[in-house]
Amino acid sequence: MSWRQVYLVLRREYITRVKSKGFIAATILVPVGFVVLFGIGILISVWESDITFEIGVIDQTEVLAPSLEELNEERYTDYSDLAEDSLRTLVQQEQITGYIILDEEHITSDKTLELIYSGSGGIQLLNSIQSDMREVIREERLQRAEVSEDIQNIFETSVSLNSRRLTAEGEETEDDTAFFTIVGMAMGFIIFFAIFGYGGYIMRGVIEEKTNRIVEVITSSVKPIELLSGKMAGVGALAITQFGIWIIALVGLSSIAGPLASSMMSDQSAQMEAMGAPEQAEIPAFLDIPTIETSLIVYFILFFLLGYILYSSLFAAIGSAADSETDTQQLMMPVTIPIMLAYFIMFHAWRSPDSMLSVISSLVPFFSPIVMITRIAITEVPFWQIGLSMLLMVLTFVGTMWLSAKIYKVGILSYGGTASFKDIAKWIRQ
Amino acid sequence: MATIEVENLSKTFGKTVAVDNVSFEAHRGRIFGLLGPNGAGKTTTIRMINYIIPQDSGKITIQGVRVSPKTQKMIGYMPEERGLYKKMKVGEQLMYLAQLKGLDASTAKKQIRYWLERFNASDWHSKVVGELSKGMSQKIQFISTIVHDPEIYIFDEPFSGLDPINSELLKEIIIELREKGKTILFSTHRMEQVEQMCDDICLFNNGKVVLTGNLRSIKKEFGKNTVLLEFQGDGTFLDELDDIRINNRSTNFAEIRILNGLNHQEILKKAMERAEIHKFQLVEPSLNEIFISTVGEDNIKNKEELQS
Repeated sequence: MSWRQVYLVLRREYITRVKSKGFIAATILVPVGFVVLFGIGILISVWESDITFEIGVIDQTEVLAPSLEELNEERYTDYSDLAEDSLRTLVQQEQITGYIILDEEHITSDKTLELIYSGSGGIQLLNSIQSDMREVIREERLQRAEVSEDIQNIFETSVSLNSRRLTAEGEETEDDTAFFTIVGMAMGFIIFFAIFGYGGYIMRGVIEEKTNRIVEVITSSVKPIELLSGKMAGVGALAITQFGIWIIALVGLSSIAGPLASSMMSDQSAQMEAMGAPEQAEIPAFLDIPTIETSLIVYFILFFLLGYILYSSLFAAIGSAADSETDTQQLMMPVTIPIMLAYFIMFHAWRSPDSMLSVISSLVPFFSPIVMITRIAITEVPFWQIGLSMLLMVLTFVGTMWLSAKIYKVGILSYGGTASFKDIAKWIRQ
Repeated sequence: MATIEVENLSKTFGKTVAVDNVSFEAHRGRIFGLLGPNGAGKTTTIRMINYIIPQDSGKITIQGVRVSPKTQKMIGYMPEERGLYKKMKVGEQLMYLAQLKGLDASTAKKQIRYWLERFNASDWHSKVVGELSKGMSQKIQFISTIVHDPEIYIFDEPFSGLDPINSELLKEIIIELREKGKTILFSTHRMEQVEQMCDDICLFNNGKVVLTGNLRSIKKEFGKNTVLLEFQGDGTFLDELDDIRINNRSTNFAEIRILNGLNHQEILKKAMERAEIHKFQLVEPSLNEIFISTVGEDNIKNKEELQS
């Protein structure tokens, strides 16, 4: 392998791409897109929590209906003077969402409540009614038991949990699990998208060389393995450039927008608490943004690069076997499936980063880049696991590179039709 | 010493034998034609000479050196499937390809300027290839093949897809290169091009060499046993002749190869009975005819192509 040739290929790949309009547009638009998506996500979760529905109540106890109306005037209406049939009609005419009949037994025993409704409103409607009913019935029972106010207050108890980490050195540190869960997820996401994005770049580049018919001119000067490594390195350098720009921009922006964002966040969390969503209480963790350790960033870059080289050679092989970009779908399968699996496992790892599934799959080379980085961000991963996963990725890379080089060597010179898996198997054996 | 020496070369793809025990030599200052129908193994052989794919067995040497990345740089290769990076500028592209062939940047710059001027294309230097017309990009393609001034030139089906002006231009370049003492090897399935340009030939069929050597002496060997006949009138007498093979027949022309020593005067006599003869000439057989009589009519794949 001649490094001069690899370097020439690398330089061409890098320079022509970095100057292209597509690269400049992506560099600007991708973060904007991320921010917009994130913002929309938050907006939606804040917005839709309030749904309106109207429930008719036929109350034979005479106490529950008034307290329901008191609890939520818009939601509950007392229809005790109407017959059940009339309420049925009202539901059918869509004047009310549904109705419920309450009797004495609901207070004295745990008799199941029955809601008759049109079927719209979803799980949120059912949950809200259930909790409303629990509240009024409990209140009525307490009233009847004539318990003191102190005991009544006990039922209002709310508990908050504040956690601190104890390190092996005996130091107690602020626990930022909530924050790092988000960081870990973001890192997993970014690597997931980056593998697809830059892998796709390489794949399209290979297909372009094939359809342009330049590849034979090039292979009369350069060995396929030199061309392949030069390409991977060129796009890798492009990836580093793009991430560099983003990181610098992020650091720059956050120094300006940091204070602004935290004031917005506090507004929002206040709003959320007002809406009675206790699980949102962890939001204030945002307020003092914990510092991301350098080691985490180093691991992120390492896992990103390892993931990139592991997958990019495979993307190149796919490109070489395809005849046009539209023909790649089927060939992509063996590569897409592990990435998608890793992506789904990440959702699990993000909740329980130390479970058996998380630990084992973070050691599987094809999953490591996404799953392991999420774990590293969230929990204390023993160094042997990190080291082992990196070692396994490097070893697997040697294998995928060998395999890809074999496919690539034959693929780039075979025109006229996309190869089948059978053809590819033949190329590998050749 | 031969510039390109191919000895007992073989290559198999799966169960198909693409190249089967092929040997030939190409020499300095001469044009070597590799010919045969499509699928005969020409491109595979050329790729092996260019060290693009490895041979299964046999030996290829370029100026006495076994094929390697080093010999690649001694060759200017224009493949049948050719193209350029559409989004790159002409100058950048030629620079890249020249550097891949081992030229340093300053020499490459000089060469590129020289050749762009030669082709009246100096002002294309900063144009993006995608914006060039087909003819223009064909010129850039030639330049990319010859820019590093190699000793050896290999053109795979060089004239296919070229417009007539560029065809003529390429022919001129090839002749000029021969005069400079370079070695030229090209492949084609168009026999008339070979007859016009080649000094030596190698005939391929089904992966095997069926005939190789100096074009003149090959023709001489076959003797003057072909009749060119131009006539006016009823041509059906041609169908009544035995022991002949007619190539290139049209309403008033026929190229007749005499087989089994039939007297050509017989043909003339019969022709005169039925038609008015404008021309009757005894010549050496055409390459097409030589090819057919060497491999036998039945063994030719894609026969129509040869006659086009």
